[in-house]
Amino acid sequence: MAFEYIRGDTVLHRLDPRTKVLFFLFVTVLSVIIYDPIIMLCLLFVVSIMYRLSKIPLIKLVSITKTLLPVFVMFILLNYFVLPPRGAKIYLYLLPGMAPVTIETTLLGITSALRFILFIWLSRLLTFTTSISEILVGMVKMRLPPEVATSLGIAFSSVPLMISQFSSVIEAQKSRGSQIAVRNPIKKVIAFIPVVVPGIYITILRGMNVAKTVEAKAFTYNPKNRTFRKRIRFRSNDYLFLTASGAFTMIFLVLKLLYGWFDYTFLLRDVFKLL
Amino acid sequence: MTSNSAVVSIKGLTYTYPGSDRPALTNVDLEIRKGEIVLITGPTGAGKTTLCSTFNGLIPHFYGGTMQGDVTVLGQDIKTTSAGYLATKVSMLFQDPSSQLISATVEDEVAFGPENLGIPLEEITQRVQSALDYVGLAHLKERSPTALSGGQQQAVALASVLAMKPEVLVLDEPTSNLDPVGTMNIFSLLGKISREERSTIIIVEHKLQELVEIAHRIIVLDDGQVQLGGSPREILAEDAPFLYERGLSPPQVSLLAHKLRSRGASIENIPLTIPESLDIFSTIIRTLEATPTSQSSEVRSQVKVCDQSIIEINGVSFQYPNGVVAVQDVTTRFYEGDFVGIIGQNGSGKTTLVKMLNGLLKPTWGTVKVFGLDTQKSMIHELIRHVGYVFQDPDSQLFSRTVYRELSFGLKNMRVPQDQWRDRIAKVAKQLLIDKFLDEPPYSLSRGDRQRVAIASVLVMDPKVVIVDEPTTGQDPRKRREIMELMKALHQDHGKTVIFITHDMDLIAEYAQRCLVMKEGKIILEGKPHEVFLHYDELEATNLRPPMVSLLFRALGERYPVRRDILTVDEAVDYLTSRGVP
Repeated sequence: MAFEYIRGDTVLHRLDPRTKVLFFLFVTVLSVIIYDPIIMLCLLFVVSIMYRLSKIPLIKLVSITKTLLPVFVMFILLNYFVLPPRGAKIYLYLLPGMAPVTIETTLLGITSALRFILFIWLSRLLTFTTSISEILVGMVKMRLPPEVATSLGIAFSSVPLMISQFSSVIEAQKSRGSQIAVRNPIKKVIAFIPVVVPGIYITILRGMNVAKTVEAKAFTYNPKNRTFRKRIRFRSNDYLFLTASGAFTMIFLVLKLLYGWFDYTFLLRDVFKLL
Repeated sequence: MTSNSAVVSIKGLTYTYPGSDRPALTNVDLEIRKGEIVLITGPTGAGKTTLCSTFNGLIPHFYGGTMQGDVTVLGQDIKTTSAGYLATKVSMLFQDPSSQLISATVEDEVAFGPENLGIPLEEITQRVQSALDYVGLAHLKERSPTALSGGQQQAVALASVLAMKPEVLVLDEPTSNLDPVGTMNIFSLLGKISREERSTIIIVEHKLQELVEIAHRIIVLDDGQVQLGGSPREILAEDAPFLYERGLSPPQVSLLAHKLRSRGASIENIPLTIPESLDIFSTIIRTLEATPTSQSSEVRSQVKVCDQSIIEINGVSFQYPNGVVAVQDVTTRFYEGDFVGIIGQNGSGKTTLVKMLNGLLKPTWGTVKVFGLDTQKSMIHELIRHVGYVFQDPDSQLFSRTVYRELSFGLKNMRVPQDQWRDRIAKVAKQLLIDKFLDEPPYSLSRGDRQRVAIASVLVMDPKVVIVDEPTTGQDPRKRREIMELMKALHQDHGKTVIFITHDMDLIAEYAQRCLVMKEGKIILEGKPHEVFLHYDELEATNLRPPMVSLLFRALGERYPVRRDILTVDEAVDYLTSRGVP
């Protein structure tokens, strides 16, 4: 479930949410400058170690990855529709005269797919180890107005409820014979209309109810002097973690900018001379 | 402020919602004093929620609309005081618990209001703990509110308003999702808060019999106007039949006494509670000749259950992906012509069990056979030809531009030839009194009519079995009876087998031919309501209570030779009349 928080007392749980957000940004920078699939795999391995250190059940990581597999394949396939580099050896065409398969486009596709998985793994790691109220306080500390931060917190918290309400809609339509699990994408879109319309209606109602509820709970009374129960502060671990990850990112950035490293064939061709 | 000063003062209030041409409240005058517990009741659409929304300034600040007259709350004119400020003094609990839960954990939810008040952290922590202790949910404080049962969500919502320590507490149907014992617990808690904190409590409720002991005053609203006002004794001693006629549920013992008095029985004081009625009816029964008493001989005339089992559940258990086992080793049968009510405390597995009957859920262990089809091996579209499932909330399924299109949805999915649609839809629409709306958009109809459209959209597929999941939640007693009369007509006149889930014991007593009682995923009692409601201890253990009149006859039966299995007021009147009460 999106925004699921798994309670714990691990190093990652104890880090300040701002540290985790900054770490997320560092890895985002890394993933943008790195095109080599092997290095991208190494990054994924590091994140999986962090899952382990955070004591997130392995089943969570497996189920997230399983749902991403079709997208993984799609990323690779779509990449064959991008023109390969000049002179690249074409092994075959996926369609007659179209979508040439080359080592370069394959590696690029794999990297794009791995990058997508890395983003999802990281963002889920952030929500698994940070409660919504911590994220909220983190945002306020980063100078976001308390009203905006609280509203975002409410929106995040509403996700499980909305999922459960959409499940009820799906069940209600299944009970009237609606076949949502069709494979044909056009039929699937049509089949989802009976789910989407009541879903939108319920979402609008939910929005109105939330607005009424927060008003009745004195949200607009004095938002600037609101008390936040969660208290966050930078500790030595935060400084250590940020320094290490920041330095690592800087080194990669410098190597990329000065020497052009981490291209999609960096390790295989330039380092190991395999290609 | 002295104890007699007015906390809420309303003079000549008339209010019309934006876009409406008819006022929701008309010329209302009302005064509520500090420390009072006031019960506001009335049929659906009477203006109860609208009236309450003025107490914390949601009207006029949030809803807009046009307002005439004066409303002052704790000395503040609501027109010139912000809703944010009023909310620091007046806390309001809304009707639907799930719609007002906004935080990721129970603890965060309860702390949200106090955090907005800007009070010190230590005090917030103490208030959250104490509010959760009050409603008995301290052990669930780390859970997500969405993972709780409807009853637990209602308790969390209540704790979240208690933690704000308001001077005025406004509760709009705070027990609509609770089982009978849960309801009693909440009302006892409110009585305790009133005594200990001296808070003013305003409750909107249809459950009069549970509140007569704690309410100081009852206000009856109808059509936007105050119809009656006074102490519970004043109102019920004189007007219990009037309330019943307006579609409300006065205490059954008051109604029984009124009915007997109108037939000539000498009843001087109308009782409000079981202890009071015990004295009065003991006096009456002592005067009767001692005639032998037969237990539960009169099974109602419409019973036409046959031996043909159509749904067979054998050793069924169901486990959700999160590990919760909602149904455990259930074995039972449903028969052709059954009219079965399923009852049980919140979270006892009722909905999970019935969802396995049309294949929405597949049993984790055991087998469910529906007309010989094993649900494990059958597709859902095969099963829904036999078993129709009507969901609690009509808005979770309506999507079409017109009611006609909505009703044709199931037929299209079942590939019924198009030339048959018009006849089938016309027949069902007429049966459910929605034929005049066939060209209207479903969302433009009233909630009651939308519910009829939702029921019709299932019936049009002509299933032999109709399952209705809590069809009466949030409805006033008259609407509840209307829905159940509809189910009764489907059963009697159209030969449907009906299975319904409810928390309303009066409906079980009045309508069900058989009932199943569930507790912790298991069926603990099964039989005719006359038999099941004699098992007081087992029912109590699963947070259920027989109807008030049944409890009265149970108590009388311990003293005198009278039937103990009386279920309804009419049955009690007939019985006592047959025993010689004039």
